[in-house]
Amino acid sequence: MTIPRWVIPVLVVVFMFGGYGLRLAFTQPTTNVVFAEQTASGEMAKIEATVQGVKCKGTAGFFTKMYNETPGIYTIKTYASEHKAVFTYDPSVTSPDDIKAVMEKKLTFGDGSKRQIFTCLEMVEK
Amino acid sequence: MKTRVLRWTVLSGFAAFVLWYAFGYGDRSFENLCPFGGVASLYGLATGGEFTCSLGPANLSLLIGIVVLALIAKRAFCGWVCPLGFIGELIYRLREKVTRKRVKTIPPRLNAWLKPLRYIVLVLVLYFTWQTGDLIFRGYDPFYAIFSGMGHGTLGWITWSILAIFLIGSWFVPMFFCRYFCPLAATLDPFSRLGLIKVSRNAETCIDCNKCHKVCPHDLHPEKVDVLRHHDCTNCMECIDACPIAKCMTLKAKV
Repeated sequence: MTIPRWVIPVLVVVFMFGGYGLRLAFTQPTTNVVFAEQTASGEMAKIEATVQGVKCKGTAGFFTKMYNETPGIYTIKTYASEHKAVFTYDPSVTSPDDIKAVMEKKLTFGDGSKRQIFTCLEMVEK
Repeated sequence: MKTRVLRWTVLSGFAAFVLWYAFGYGDRSFENLCPFGGVASLYGLATGGEFTCSLGPANLSLLIGIVVLALIAKRAFCGWVCPLGFIGELIYRLREKVTRKRVKTIPPRLNAWLKPLRYIVLVLVLYFTWQTGDLIFRGYDPFYAIFSGMGHGTLGWITWSILAIFLIGSWFVPMFFCRYFCPLAATLDPFSRLGLIKVSRNAETCIDCNKCHKVCPHDLHPEKVDVLRHHDCTNCMECIDACPIAKCMTLKAKV
């Protein structure tokens, strides 16, 4: 069966944009850190933050380490390609403002300078 | 209208799309538009359910898209989408314009010896990426070097040297990087071999002018076969455009 020439570019455009659209079907994170197992009694809230600075597995790992000492955080999932982090937390212990304050904390570097690594661009309750 | 005009329009559109992301206007890094990132992520996803480094869902979904595309239209991705292949093609077309003669093909035996290099590149890249969980080959990747503007992860003179080899090689050999070094081309080869839509030649009307071979950017031989099944065919249709006999070279669906 003879195929018209225009079929190839049409297929290319359909499969490229179709493939790009299919990304919504894959929701695996870059990192998935569980700080404390969820308990039946604990009240849970979820918040999604768009974070400037989370751009690869290394920065995502550093980002989640900043919450090692923060009470009330259960899990943090990071999505480096979308620069996002999803927190599950206990709202009676911590709040979105506390979470934002931790990520935007200035850190002291080896040369004594203090710098902010991450900036919260947006927070959405899920 | 020559197919090349349409193809270059499509290629320019996709290159502009990648540039848009490379300049930071998109919702993610331009690295997420490379389907090879999907291959690089497979191990991390299979073992830990996590994407590697800065890779994400778009890398994987684009990989699925182009694998299905390869099963239908062979390596059409390489001839119609890939911005790096487009740059390589522009360079050797520029050489044709400057020297006013067709780029001479490299000796067939040398070509055949060099082609398996891309399978070695594929194995090395996947082995070290999966071992380290990091995109340690960024610094050796001309696509990353060009579109990141020698950004984070590039390796100074090593990356510059690789860029120089890419540019000089593309000047002398059509589709230089795609032929010998592209790990994505190596990944797509088995699927491309099964590709349904192929260039076909009508042996009864063919006048053996060899024009189809002379214009093939991958040095394939459509003049010697009735159906071009070679995995390197990108369905770019340069051979169909070059054929002086109407309906001698056509696209056909053949298993």
